[in-house]
Amino acid sequence: MSDRAIRSIAVVGAGIVGLSTALAFRRTLPNVDLRIVEVTPDPAALADRMPLAWPSVNLFHALVGIDERDLLRRAIAVHHVGTVFTGWPEGRSWIHAFGPHGRPVGAVSFDQIWVRAQRAGKARPYEAYSPADVLARASKFVHPPRDPDSPVAEVQYGLRLDPDLYRERLRESAAASRIGITTADIAGVERYADRNIAALVLNNGERVQADLFIDCGGPAGRLIREVDASFEEWPSCSSNSLVIDDVDVEAATPVARVSRTVEGWTAEWPLPGRTIRCGVGSGEGAVAIRPGRRVRAWAGNVLAVGDAAVAIDPLYGLNLALMHRAIFLALELLPGRDFNPVELAEFNRRWGLITDQVRDLTALLHGCAEGFTGELPESLARRLDQFEHRGRFPFQEDEVLNRDDWTSALLGMGMVPQNVDPAASGVPLDRAVEAMNKLADEFAAFASRAPTYPDYLARITRDR
Amino acid sequence: MVILGGGTAGWMTAAALVKQLGQACTVRLIESEEIGIVGVGEATLPHIRYFVEGLGLDEAEFMKATHATFKLGIEFHDFGSIGTRYLHPFGTFGSALNGVPFHHYWLRLHSEGKGGDLFSTSIANVMAERKRFAPPRDINIYNYAYQFDSTLFGPYLRDFAIQRGVLRTEGKVVDVEVDGETGNVAALKLESGERIEGDLFVDCSGFRALLIGQTLNEEWEDWSQWLPCDRAVAMPCTTPAGPLEPYTRAHAMKAGWRWRIPLQHRVGNGYVYSSSHISDEDAANALVAAVEGEPMADPRVLKFRAGRRKRSWSKNVVAVGLASGFLEPLESTSIYLVQGAIAQLVGLFPIGPVRDQDRDEFNRATDYEYDRIRDFLILHYHATDRDDSDFWDHTRTMDVPDSLHAKIELWRAAARVATYTQGLFFEASWIAVLVGQGVIPNGWDQRADLFDSSKLEQAIERLRGKVNEAVSSMPDQAEYIARRNASIADPAA
Repeated sequence: MSDRAIRSIAVVGAGIVGLSTALAFRRTLPNVDLRIVEVTPDPAALADRMPLAWPSVNLFHALVGIDERDLLRRAIAVHHVGTVFTGWPEGRSWIHAFGPHGRPVGAVSFDQIWVRAQRAGKARPYEAYSPADVLARASKFVHPPRDPDSPVAEVQYGLRLDPDLYRERLRESAAASRIGITTADIAGVERYADRNIAALVLNNGERVQADLFIDCGGPAGRLIREVDASFEEWPSCSSNSLVIDDVDVEAATPVARVSRTVEGWTAEWPLPGRTIRCGVGSGEGAVAIRPGRRVRAWAGNVLAVGDAAVAIDPLYGLNLALMHRAIFLALELLPGRDFNPVELAEFNRRWGLITDQVRDLTALLHGCAEGFTGELPESLARRLDQFEHRGRFPFQEDEVLNRDDWTSALLGMGMVPQNVDPAASGVPLDRAVEAMNKLADEFAAFASRAPTYPDYLARITRDR
Repeated sequence: MVILGGGTAGWMTAAALVKQLGQACTVRLIESEEIGIVGVGEATLPHIRYFVEGLGLDEAEFMKATHATFKLGIEFHDFGSIGTRYLHPFGTFGSALNGVPFHHYWLRLHSEGKGGDLFSTSIANVMAERKRFAPPRDINIYNYAYQFDSTLFGPYLRDFAIQRGVLRTEGKVVDVEVDGETGNVAALKLESGERIEGDLFVDCSGFRALLIGQTLNEEWEDWSQWLPCDRAVAMPCTTPAGPLEPYTRAHAMKAGWRWRIPLQHRVGNGYVYSSSHISDEDAANALVAAVEGEPMADPRVLKFRAGRRKRSWSKNVVAVGLASGFLEPLESTSIYLVQGAIAQLVGLFPIGPVRDQDRDEFNRATDYEYDRIRDFLILHYHATDRDDSDFWDHTRTMDVPDSLHAKIELWRAAARVATYTQGLFFEASWIAVLVGQGVIPNGWDQRADLFDSSKLEQAIERLRGKVNEAVSSMPDQAEYIARRNASIADPAA
């Protein structure tokens, strides 16, 4: 038995973030004493309120034993195949979906070949070469089949979850896993000499001791701040006041929408029983977002997850994806209960790579729509320079976003490289175009044959 | 584009560029038969396979032409302490269980005095021990590289490159013409009087670094405080009787280490040493005394220094190979570094005039590669109990770079290897050297405690059984080489 194992964990926050975190830790570490303190929710905690979950949600559900079909049947979730961006920037419409575009030729990536074909006037829109994009444009979805030769084998999908119903669903799992939930706010914090937290004093008089405290209580970072208050602001990600409300129900669709508005932007995420809308605005119920991240999301015996760790607007729908990534990374790198600084440093290094990329992508979306008025992060400036010059990606460590997540946005927004890369010039164009067209035709045919989403949903949720 | 130098780096660069960018530029290579090549890098890493494949070469033909053997790893003797040995295999140890890497389970059992030897769970290690070889079905389990005659590798690539349009100019550069305004290299003047202009120059002139060093005076970052070896004495010998080893050996010596690289027709040997700890003569004698076959040449001394240029791409000159930096061949990284530089150069090949952003990007990637490898090499010298010579006393007690210190501390505390997606040497490599040199962590992933230890022991035994069974069905390496028609003993050769 390792004598440095963590024996007890207190999770603060009982929204989607707190419950997800507690469930994942409970499943992974069944012998650890684990409880949740349900503090008053913070309306600015976006990860607790945003419905869009990237494909990592499926890994998370597999870990904690939540069945996708059960979520569909109970009208808690629909599939998410992609987001259509409209007027982003003015006059352009593009799709962000999950999965690759086209096929590389040798060492030359597909986007480079597409750029060359496009300059020669021989390319269809970039989205025509991604099966996920094509399905999204048709508002359709089917599960990727096991058959690796299927045109949609490489499609990945996420879910859109009704936050209120999903929270209740997670709560059921928590109860079934015998995770105790205490409802109370934090009245005070007892600390050790090294700043680490010894116990929480609750306003019901209870005292909660633990080896590890996980701060899932929203952007205020009530716990993480006790140990390390350093925060890195992201001015390039536009500080926003957001209004979140419901709009009319519509027919089931696997597609979400983001569009430019006079104020800035609006996102609409259709769900089974309602459509959640979020956009820049002010007035009653508006929440202020201060984009940025904790410099150290893991400090001493406090780990921050969700908005306590990173605050970002939901444009690219990354709030829940970041939460899932943080949970998996924390479990992968779980330190001993001495919380050795070298172990925390490794977590914070990896987490920093992830959040920096999310910052860069968000800054890119805002920058492109707003005409790049502000200063860009150095790593984004380098990425844009290399891409705009020749469609190259810089040499760097990658964690959460893949090449297609970037090219969808870059090419979708019309940031087409000025030059064809010399290596791509060596690819025989006619043959490449022929293969590209064949692929696009296959995807288009597949999408037109696929059932409508309401039909598909009805079929897979039908009781046997 | 003009490449200066016809050694391994020069012809690798010429072959790759003409293959990938042949339509975009003219490639000319200048070499002189009077100038010898260092010919380092007889032993390679698995990345070489993709270089060979990328050129579209036939593996068997390539192996025959370069007298190559297969390589499954590097066997280190006497590094952690005298009398110990381990293989750094090109492969993993076991497989993850419940998302927890295998070595955490092994460490837990090890702490209970159980679990046996970690290395016997690596199929590459067992193949090497039994001198067997078969190509991998899944390169995530194991992979392989080649050991070849680098004096044949260059000429083989030369034929390839010239056939595809690389222009070769024989001659010695006597003067470098620099543009007074831009500081760029404008042309090279040869002894014959010929003047060769270019837009971009690749300096593959080896340690001389004629362009990047002598002409542009790019600063050198010296790493000899961590890697004190500054010479090697090399001497080939005949192949002793017995099966052909599918791995390179590295034997720690009093003032450095000795390589042993078995090729099809001979064995390459060399003693890499620190000249402040041993004389050339004593090093040569130690090498001659140690080799296992009949010497085939006199010992030859090479001089070098560990470090790299602060900028490998400066003005319109890109340094590739030894002109760019040097790291001793302890982990067979020389050819990999050339390959990495070529890949960056292809990706950043100038479209129009050279841009500062592209130079910076190239240098950033190059530094990253060099720094990561440097740390890994230093680990071999530092993680040791040896106190039998001044040399090992120095490396054992020296301060190591902060980046390496953090990696060792993370391992000691938690049995974790910092994860990267770029660069060289991932988790399994670090585990091999750390465990192989006796650095056993104090902790492990607490999820490894969730299983009953007798069940884990059984699972490890089953794994060993499977590994042994798989290896038993594989042929001897020599037999496999013959079967593939890659043997130089083949009458068709």
